[in-house]
Amino acid sequence: MNATSLETFSLLAPEIVMVLAALVAYLGGAFAGLRFGWLVAAAGIVAAMVVTRGQASDAAFSAGIAIDPFSTYIRWTVLALGLLLCLVQSGDLFAAAVSRGPGLHRGGTCEEAGTFLLLLAGLSLVGVAGDLVLLFAGLELVSIPTYILLGLKRTDARGQEASLKYFFLSLVASAIFLYALVCLYGIGGSTDLGAIAARLKAEATGRTAQALLPLAIGLGVVGAAFRLAAVPMHFYAPDVYEGTSPGNAALLSTLPKVAGIVVLARLLVLVGPAASPDLLWRIVVVLAAVTMTVGNVMALWQTNLRRLLACSSIAHAGYLLVGIAAAAAPSLSPRLLSTGGLSATLFYLATYAIATIGVFGAIAYLGHRWPEWTSGSGPRPPREEITTVDDLDGLSGTNPVAAFAIAVFLLSLAGIPPLPGFWGKLALAFSALEVDGAAAIEVGSRRSWFVGLAVLLVLNAAIAAAYYLRIIAAMYFKTTKRGVQADGGLAAGVAMLACLVLVGMVTVRPRGLLTAASRAGESLVPPAAAALPDALDTIATR
Amino acid sequence: MNGFSPSSHLLLTIAAPLVGAVIAWLLGSRGVSAVRQSAAVTTLVTLALAAWLIVRYLADPATASGLPYGLVEFPWLTEGIFDVRFSLGLDGLSLWMFGLAALLSVTAVFVSWDAIKDRPVGFYVLLLVLEAAMLGVFAARDVILFYVFFEFTLVPLFFLIGIWGHDERRKAAVKFFIYTLTGSVLTFLGLLTIVLWHANHAGVVTFDIESLVDGTKIHPLPMTAAGGWLQMVVFLALLAGFAVKVPIVPFHTWLPLAHVEAPTGGSVDLAGVLLKLGIYGFLRFSMPMLPEATAVAAPWLFGLGVVGIVYGALVALVQTDLKRLIAYSSVSHMGYIVMGLFALTPVATEGANLQLVNHGLSSAGLFALVGMIYERFHTRNIASLGGIASKAPWLAVFFMLFTFSSIGLPGLNGFVGEFMILLGSFQRAWSGVSPAWQFAYLVMALLAVAGVVLGAWYMLWAVERVLFGGSREPPRSAGHGHEPGHADHGHGGHGHGGHGAADDHDRCDLRWHELAAVLPLAVFVLWIGLTPATFLAPAAPAVRKATAASAVAFAARMQAETTATVARITNP
Repeated sequence: MNATSLETFSLLAPEIVMVLAALVAYLGGAFAGLRFGWLVAAAGIVAAMVVTRGQASDAAFSAGIAIDPFSTYIRWTVLALGLLLCLVQSGDLFAAAVSRGPGLHRGGTCEEAGTFLLLLAGLSLVGVAGDLVLLFAGLELVSIPTYILLGLKRTDARGQEASLKYFFLSLVASAIFLYALVCLYGIGGSTDLGAIAARLKAEATGRTAQALLPLAIGLGVVGAAFRLAAVPMHFYAPDVYEGTSPGNAALLSTLPKVAGIVVLARLLVLVGPAASPDLLWRIVVVLAAVTMTVGNVMALWQTNLRRLLACSSIAHAGYLLVGIAAAAAPSLSPRLLSTGGLSATLFYLATYAIATIGVFGAIAYLGHRWPEWTSGSGPRPPREEITTVDDLDGLSGTNPVAAFAIAVFLLSLAGIPPLPGFWGKLALAFSALEVDGAAAIEVGSRRSWFVGLAVLLVLNAAIAAAYYLRIIAAMYFKTTKRGVQADGGLAAGVAMLACLVLVGMVTVRPRGLLTAASRAGESLVPPAAAALPDALDTIATR
Repeated sequence: MNGFSPSSHLLLTIAAPLVGAVIAWLLGSRGVSAVRQSAAVTTLVTLALAAWLIVRYLADPATASGLPYGLVEFPWLTEGIFDVRFSLGLDGLSLWMFGLAALLSVTAVFVSWDAIKDRPVGFYVLLLVLEAAMLGVFAARDVILFYVFFEFTLVPLFFLIGIWGHDERRKAAVKFFIYTLTGSVLTFLGLLTIVLWHANHAGVVTFDIESLVDGTKIHPLPMTAAGGWLQMVVFLALLAGFAVKVPIVPFHTWLPLAHVEAPTGGSVDLAGVLLKLGIYGFLRFSMPMLPEATAVAAPWLFGLGVVGIVYGALVALVQTDLKRLIAYSSVSHMGYIVMGLFALTPVATEGANLQLVNHGLSSAGLFALVGMIYERFHTRNIASLGGIASKAPWLAVFFMLFTFSSIGLPGLNGFVGEFMILLGSFQRAWSGVSPAWQFAYLVMALLAVAGVVLGAWYMLWAVERVLFGGSREPPRSAGHGHEPGHADHGHGGHGHGGHGAADDHDRCDLRWHELAAVLPLAVFVLWIGLTPATFLAPAAPAVRKATAASAVAFAARMQAETTATVARITNP
């Protein structure tokens, strides 16, 4: 083993720690009767955090691994979300064990926890990948554990449908994305992202590049769209979310989105400076506009809570794409230091993920409720899982803490100030308006596209408020005699409260998160106007 | 008087309701009376702090020259391009609105005293949070901070309407929220565009409102085809939010529903303070930052104001529900303010600014009294009410007072504002507009005068039917909940037919907390009416400064049109 590979291993230490923890969970569950797989998972994540903290976050490239502020931000996001999801998932499982549902046994805990750790390791790998092969390997290491988690959780027909649907679509998306990678390899003649970028810059007008680049962009965006649950690969989300558990829905609505954003961000660096930059931002602007509108309009008609949140997660994929689009069209403002859309997207991703995990955590925590029943009408019917918006009727009376938490998360998702979602939408709208900020708004100009996108963004936020308010209205304005069980497990409740605390922290002090996101975004897509010293000076002196 | 710095004084005034909200929440287990008492104490303390702050403001010679008072500033989100600061301060524009918000919060608590029995903790906590947001929005000196408060006022009011409102409360709450939000998100984009424009041209990123006003003077947003009419686009974006908030006809449809369904305390805050945010937004942002666009839009908005006056009055005239009538009278009266604002003469704009306070007092008072009437007779149907003057003489006195204030009786506050607005509008019609516009302005101003007559008609007719005449309220036995707590009128005859003259058993006059709710408003109604200069003078320089650029731009535009018309006539 030479020095280079040792160094490589040390760079991948957090991922290695998580894989080792996964092995402990698998082997312990199978051979040593280990029961608390999720504890192992949590310990593994914490250990990975410690290792990550010890690592230098400045740019280090080695054998296709890029350790820069961007990958560090992604790593921390993955680990933090992983810990929260771990709590939601374990709470979820606790409920399943207590209710003695068919086909679930305690041994499953360890397998699930191990699989979940592998997923996180894969996602973290995607974040640091500086090489096409490693990127694809990481993405598959995200996808395959996801199939298993979806399949393990549910044994009823709907659950099987959900996991099958996700499986096939994910395969198709992976194949499509693989074609995009092949095209990039064809242009660059290397699997290393840096080498491909250099080659592209050098011969962007070459015939191969001209022919393959649009194909690579189109296929790559579609491949990423599946993970983001963005149009045109969005339609699976409602069915899959409905058919799975709240914990898995929380996972599906956050972690694959991280992967999708990373893929798009890496793609940006590649083709950003290349010959046909107009293509990428045009595609992404259209996708963002369509995605958020479709997601929100679909959500307006949903009565099932998980379907509704699935549609809302589609809409949020559209918001996330706004920043990507802005980053793909570097601002030509003469005197302004652009924050870049990527920073805004990374910031928004975190605020969105916290609120979403909070909502699903709360639903997982609430678990079941008694159906309508009066004591003369025969035996008491069995309790039902909370599935529809109506099931939350009167929650403010029966479980005020959960109702308050859900209301805060939903208002944050709706972008009501001063909650984190508002700061996120502020950053996104700003990044869109920033594009060609000094130019006149002429029909068809780049500026007009982005101003239109910003208008759609805020109007969509208003549409979205309608269905979020419907849930809040059910919880606060209606009354019910049906009691909520709150049997989903303490861990899910803890996750909910943790998310509430995080929301509060970002509300009061959004700066910390935004600073990290900006540093991450700028390390990948450098600020457009950074070359102008006077703009830098004025900002520095303030 | 110099016990502590104005900055901490201002911060304390805004924070006091939040502290009170926490106290009210902690007292929740001790029952209704503890909660409402703590809420009352909080609002009174806040009012005292605000009043003292205003006194200090007026005593400070620096404020007369237009300097803001009680500056508070610390960074909130300063990263990269963002420079959002938590920056507060009072100036002539915000001074009276700040005080009004503190005053009406006291009214809102006292009118809810007996009306709110369900979940009182939540109610008073939300009311106090709303008060903090209302105080904050007028004190904000940062664009984003303003917007944060502006939007955040929706949340407590959404819950206040949705939980404690009347029959259609859920629909009203959602409609109110969505309607207002849709408008204000466009305002948000408009504000961001101004910030970015300024940043691009001045090279300095700032969200500070005053710096932006100065900056847009040096680098005005383009108002030419080459510049994409950016200034007009931004003006329309700001208008979207402000017009819904005011509301300017035809964006008023959320208002009657929200007002009618809201609990009395919510109506008081909504009509008294929150509607004014739209006008305040025009004064704070549109007029100083986008003067050329304002000059173009001014005649049209002036016209929409007049439409609002007449339309609101005509619709109010046919209402059968007393609260709905008052709601439509708000549409009509806000029309005057819009009209005065966009007349762009000093007298009219100052009158409009004063009228903000006047309408706040009279509409809040009327909504409070309608709430009290509803509590007594469990109907707001004008046809079912009657003869209240003989049963509740003091209630009737206050109702008359606020009615007279609302229709602009000389000697009361409403007269001063309305007179100044109309005077300024006629000035605008006679001087300073091009011949082409002169006739239109004159017709519109005359229509507004007709609106005054209509206003007197619907209000006095309602007063006549509700306060005087025979007692027509529904029989008292018909399920209207005579709780033992209502001692003052609870000993009356159950099953009393309610026809004929009232006797002692029928008396149900104001109780102490109801008096506490309306008496302070009445004091100011008289005070402003008798010595308007006291209230006009501190605001005048700020209003003039805010509208000066727009007035100049308007004059230039009219001058150009006059020249063009003259040229057309002389060289046919």
